[in-house]
Amino acid sequence: MGYAAVKGGLDAILAAEDLVARMRVDDASPWVSEEQLIGRLRLAVDRVQGEGGLASAELAARAIRQAEGDLIEASLLVRSYRSTLPRLGYTVPTPTSEMEAVRRIVPAFREPPGRQLLGRTLDYTERLVDFRDEAAARAALGEPPATPQEIPADSRPGGASAEHALTQPRLAELLAARGLLADRRVEGDPDPVDVTRDPVTTPAPRSARLSVLARGETGALVNLWYQGVMGDRRGAEDITLGEVRVGKLPVTVRHPRTGGPVRVGSVQVTEVEAMSNLNRPDENTAVFDIGYGLVLGHNERKAIAMAVLDIAMHRDRARTGLEQNVIATCDGTDASGFLEHLKLPHYVTFGSQLERKEAMRR
Amino acid sequence: MTIQEQMSAELNSAVPAARSTTDLLDEADRYSFAFLDELSKRAIRRAILSAVAVPGYQVPFASRDMPVARGWGSGGLQITLGIVGPDDVVKVIDQGDDAGVNAANLRRLIQRTTGVTTTLDRREATIVQSRHRIPEEGMPDGQVLVLQVPVPEALRGIERRQSELRRMHAEADYSRMWVALYEDYVRHGAITKSTGYPVLVNGRYVMQTSPIPRWDVPRLHHHEGLALFGAGREKRIYAVPPFTDVVPLTFEDIPFEVERIPGAVCVRCGSTESYLSEIPQQDSPSRWVCSDTDWCDRRTAGQS
Repeated sequence: MGYAAVKGGLDAILAAEDLVARMRVDDASPWVSEEQLIGRLRLAVDRVQGEGGLASAELAARAIRQAEGDLIEASLLVRSYRSTLPRLGYTVPTPTSEMEAVRRIVPAFREPPGRQLLGRTLDYTERLVDFRDEAAARAALGEPPATPQEIPADSRPGGASAEHALTQPRLAELLAARGLLADRRVEGDPDPVDVTRDPVTTPAPRSARLSVLARGETGALVNLWYQGVMGDRRGAEDITLGEVRVGKLPVTVRHPRTGGPVRVGSVQVTEVEAMSNLNRPDENTAVFDIGYGLVLGHNERKAIAMAVLDIAMHRDRARTGLEQNVIATCDGTDASGFLEHLKLPHYVTFGSQLERKEAMRR
Repeated sequence: MTIQEQMSAELNSAVPAARSTTDLLDEADRYSFAFLDELSKRAIRRAILSAVAVPGYQVPFASRDMPVARGWGSGGLQITLGIVGPDDVVKVIDQGDDAGVNAANLRRLIQRTTGVTTTLDRREATIVQSRHRIPEEGMPDGQVLVLQVPVPEALRGIERRQSELRRMHAEADYSRMWVALYEDYVRHGAITKSTGYPVLVNGRYVMQTSPIPRWDVPRLHHHEGLALFGAGREKRIYAVPPFTDVVPLTFEDIPFEVERIPGAVCVRCGSTESYLSEIPQQDSPSRWVCSDTDWCDRRTAGQS
């Protein structure tokens, strides 16, 4: 009877667990520190923070090491830890214009208001495996270039000042001022839905959709977007990105006694605005509409997919059930966990199915 | 040595004896009693109360992420951890078996995060968490039965849209379900739905039965204990309170059938009146054993 043998369960589990721990801890290679993971595998750490729904690089790094690099498993560890923490309060809303951007691109214009800041990105690097050893790689670095702050203000397009880099204008404001942007303000969703405390049913308020997407699995969101491109689902076509920004946002809470706002820290986020060229008969085709993506950490792929899915769901309304499809399927721990549950014993249910097959012949 | 004795020995050797909450917190001061924070447990209990008040209705709840993968009993686990107190005695089974990997895993987790006593003996338990089975004797002492549910929606086979499903339940519009059952019978000469058979609860809501085998379905009718169903991934809790009408959907002239295998007898206890699991043999007819190992053990002990 294999893994559910008469004397199986606990012994087998303990042995498997011991094997995992032994192999993980006892490996001949050096122990990987949280510092290394955060410094050298920062995008993995960021992905786990986002999908785990908890802004703690240290905890994400621990989880990645414990999960042996399986990022969905690491997200599950972070999320289950999160379940032990009481929800004590909510932060004060922060305008993302307060972002200290380390990267900002506006594909929609050559020289947008504010500036294009490429920052730390792999986008334009040659995708060639680097065969140098550490010493050679370090030796090739040379002197560090001047940082953006050291570039004279008047040498940049538009002559923006160094302070300006911290509070970038955004393209959406420009479009709105020219009357080219659909007004998406809605009544009835004043405070963001906390999807970890209130279950989401579709149709869902936009804040709930965005929260679910922000915790979604990167690959799942990319696939859902790609289905809109290659599959028969519409709404993801004709997108131009208005903003792709990475940077730190202040985290502010109300002081329990004075009631005044107190900055308690900051989180790194990726923010995307995706402009959709409205073209349906029932839409105001004289304007653009914008989908919004905001995810924890540096994860542009996910933020872009999120923004496109946000606008695609809005445009779909209830035509194709896109909203339910996205909301119900984008969670990585849900999907992976349920897939892996197929490995559990199923002999009672399978036996019952066998019996029905026999019954049809009787 | 019976299964039960073997398992008891395993439990005692592998897991520290029941400790007080204080000890547990000292050891791992990050976690509160029963893992979840108190506010989350209250939210779960509120959902349970709603579920008990409206039998068979799926109450949405903000399912927490648990330290087990989704689909591995995270819903049942949240119910058990939401209701368990220090004096409870918990039994966990998978396919009726205390030794199944899922059962052993969850039992250990419940024990480690609460310090409560666990047992293999249904009679000693105050809470029984189960995957795919109701214990063979039911819960005659009125204990709580917690069932793990992968798919809570009985109507999903005929309708996928959540908004339409809500309407169908709200209006008790189950006509398409009846048509589906009728078509099944006409095409196959039998209703082929195997486990998770749909039932009408308290004359009102059509409900998905866990998936327990059809064998267990009649035993939910006027069941002595409170049955709680937890679907963690789908974020639903529903309930069958004690002594509630639970009627499998079928037609007047087509009786509801439980599983029956002609000639099947448990090779351990000789039972023909329990749900049996098949053990296929290479060169001879299949053998059968009771799926409820605790019940089988007690019968075996009583007979020998």
